[in-house]
Amino acid sequence: MQNKFTWPSHEMRLGPSTFLNFSKHFCADFNFIRTGRPSSAPCPSFSAAMSAVPTQNDVVSGQTESTQKTQQPLQVAKRLEKFKTTIFTQMSNLAIKHGAINLGQGFPNFDGPEFVKEAAIQAVIDGKNQYARGYGVPDLNNAIAERFKKDTGLVVDPEKEITVTSGCTEAIAATMLGLINPGDEVILFAPFYDSYEATLSMAGAKVKGITLRPPDFAVTIDELRSTISKNTRAILLNSPHNPTGKMFTREELDVIASLCIENDVLVFSDEVYDKLAFEMDHISPASLPGMYERTVTMNSLGKTFSLTGWKIGWAIAPPHLSWGVRQAHSYLTFATSTPMQWAAATALRAPDSYYVELKRDYQAKKAILVEGLKSVGFEVYPSSGTYFVVVDHTPFGLENDVAFCEYLIKEVGVVAIPTSVFYLNPEDGKNLVRFTFCKDEGTLRAAVDRMKEKLRR
Amino acid sequence: MEDKLSIVAKSFAPSPIQELSHLAQRCNAINLAEGFPDFPAPSHIKHAAISAIHSDFNQYRHVQGICDHLAHIMKQMHGLDVNPLTDIAICCGQSEAFAAAAFAIIDKGDEVILFDPCYETYEGCIKMAGGVSVYVPLDPPHWTLDPNRFINAFNERTKALVLNSPHNPTGKVFTKDELEIIAEECRARNCLAITDEVYEHITFNNAKHISLASLPGMKERTIITSSLSKTFSVTGWRVGWAIAPAFIASAIRNIHAKLTDSAPAPFQEAALIALGSPPEYFESLRSDYESRRDYIVNLLARIGFKIQFKPQGALFLFAELPENCQLSDVDYVKMLIQQAGIVAVPGCGFFHADLSLEKLSQEGCCYRERYIRFAFCKSDQTLASAAKKLGQLSDAAGCLNLR
Repeated sequence: MQNKFTWPSHEMRLGPSTFLNFSKHFCADFNFIRTGRPSSAPCPSFSAAMSAVPTQNDVVSGQTESTQKTQQPLQVAKRLEKFKTTIFTQMSNLAIKHGAINLGQGFPNFDGPEFVKEAAIQAVIDGKNQYARGYGVPDLNNAIAERFKKDTGLVVDPEKEITVTSGCTEAIAATMLGLINPGDEVILFAPFYDSYEATLSMAGAKVKGITLRPPDFAVTIDELRSTISKNTRAILLNSPHNPTGKMFTREELDVIASLCIENDVLVFSDEVYDKLAFEMDHISPASLPGMYERTVTMNSLGKTFSLTGWKIGWAIAPPHLSWGVRQAHSYLTFATSTPMQWAAATALRAPDSYYVELKRDYQAKKAILVEGLKSVGFEVYPSSGTYFVVVDHTPFGLENDVAFCEYLIKEVGVVAIPTSVFYLNPEDGKNLVRFTFCKDEGTLRAAVDRMKEKLRR
Repeated sequence: MEDKLSIVAKSFAPSPIQELSHLAQRCNAINLAEGFPDFPAPSHIKHAAISAIHSDFNQYRHVQGICDHLAHIMKQMHGLDVNPLTDIAICCGQSEAFAAAAFAIIDKGDEVILFDPCYETYEGCIKMAGGVSVYVPLDPPHWTLDPNRFINAFNERTKALVLNSPHNPTGKVFTKDELEIIAEECRARNCLAITDEVYEHITFNNAKHISLASLPGMKERTIITSSLSKTFSVTGWRVGWAIAPAFIASAIRNIHAKLTDSAPAPFQEAALIALGSPPEYFESLRSDYESRRDYIVNLLARIGFKIQFKPQGALFLFAELPENCQLSDVDYVKMLIQQAGIVAVPGCGFFHADLSLEKLSQEGCCYRERYIRFAFCKSDQTLASAAKKLGQLSDAAGCLNLR
């Protein structure tokens, strides 16, 4: 496999106490993956295990089948180095311990709209509790097609070009596994949602990263031109962008499109925040000339309707690409939650007023957070979309993003997410942390108050 | 643009089960094919889900209480000590639990042993994870395990085996002796096991479901997968789990987090109620399904099917075509749809050609086209309608006359 055998350095910097719940079994599997030999000593500290990480060559030559076989039956797969307990869980656990206000994990602390919840309840009552058609309940596929037409003008066949999945996360996994071969080159913009790297590694892809940098996280066109080639299989786009809130401009998308067409590259487009586009209109790459035939457009219910736990997502793509997505999907989860699909069809037929109000509410929340963060002393980078804001924490004198977040939880009582986990090279994120404003206004004000009171430059 | 598909995706064919289901829908046939109930889910569980949706349990979550319940059930049923904090991963159905388990333990080129006939989906997951499926045929008519054939299927590349018991499609419940043979080989070969125990609560005539993990030396090498779906008649809710030694469970949790991130939240809440159902629930589940099994066995036997093996568990009858019938299973099912308005699944989809094993004789092989799987997880009304339709097409001797 072509993966780097490095761990994000923040995992080394966090003290051993943070890993109390994880260290024992993590240490065990580290040793197995790396050396094929079980730990004979009591569980070594995390940083000791880190320093024992060999290079890629070492692992390939050092681990023979016979070495594995004669040892304990603890043979996890080599792909697992990308599958760690997430930073979100770690931060949330720490937050609970310290009673901190959680502006880290990206889900609302308010609920979804009544009309959608009622639709789900009605579906349960009506007995829609058995397997749905693998690629989606027909009515939902239709509703997705209708919404897509409204949003992009594109007309798609709901039967052949739409696949319903357990959230956009599964759409991404199914797209990677269905369309990427081991060794294929895939371009990724860093920072990125943390499942991308993991699922690319599952598919055995060779990842080429292009880093987006503050203050505007603009695409460096020259770097893109030199990275993309006839060897590139796909490029992964996420706009509006998690974690920065950047939205890819028409100019950027035109350049990306022309390079993709020239080099016959696929586009995997994660658009889950498309309805949270504040500073400019959202553009779906699939809607650009020559792009539909090579694009998988992915989205979900969760962010738009504040129902992140329902896990309803979808992938829209021309039939030949959808077929690959569907194959992988059928072996990953087989079918998606039936009553929620029925409710999702109702949700997607919501009138425009729903979306107008959604944006207005989030804009008000954003204003509270952004003004608060600025007044406290952060350098706040402009966020055009999503419900995230990325800030530079260095005015507060901590050495990196993880240290800052730990300090923020323990001393101030607020949670943010260190962004280093969203980069291929964690160093790129050490000055930046991400806050979310998908919380009720009271929570946002309380968090801002805590920071004003306790956070000193 | 066909070349844009991954090699793995290109090698997959569409599911025969789903295709026939579409044909059946077009003909408005009585569906005895797919393994989901057409009777309502239990009220107390539906109410729990509705209550959860009302109470705002709608964001990403992991409901630890499910793990507590499962640990308790594993102890009661199998004497297994499972740590609810570390040994369990909640997934989107047993489907995802199995896929995540496959990704957790299978590397490229690893071989995985499966018993034939076999549910069609395991192979797809194994293939996606880079593994190679090796099939060990069970012997008709009673689907017995041939120990020598089993042992000979192992080699230095064998990483794991898959055990589905109670078994789809045959309804076999692996015996203690058979499990001992399997366990013995796993221990000797240092091999892992992934079990699919979705029918764990559906056994008949005092056949007992024994979890492979409860045998000596097996807990540390077994991943148990199961779900709410069949036990609670909610196949569309997608709440399942994997139970395994802590570090494998952890790996599965981490993979699950990247595949789907969370099982549907309100249904996780409802799972707490479901898993806390009293013994009476499980008793009546068993006895209701046993009556349905008896009904369908009698029905098909009356019209000439050879039923030498009565299902001991699960929801399916794997019936052999009548002696005098010259049709293949696929052709028989097509006629059954078109003329009797009933759909079932041709058994050939569950058998897998395997060139690495001893070549079965020509005669020995053709049983693979002689079986049809009927699902009996259907309401009394559905089964009665099926009986009526079949009755209309039977001749005086009671044998089905298909033109």
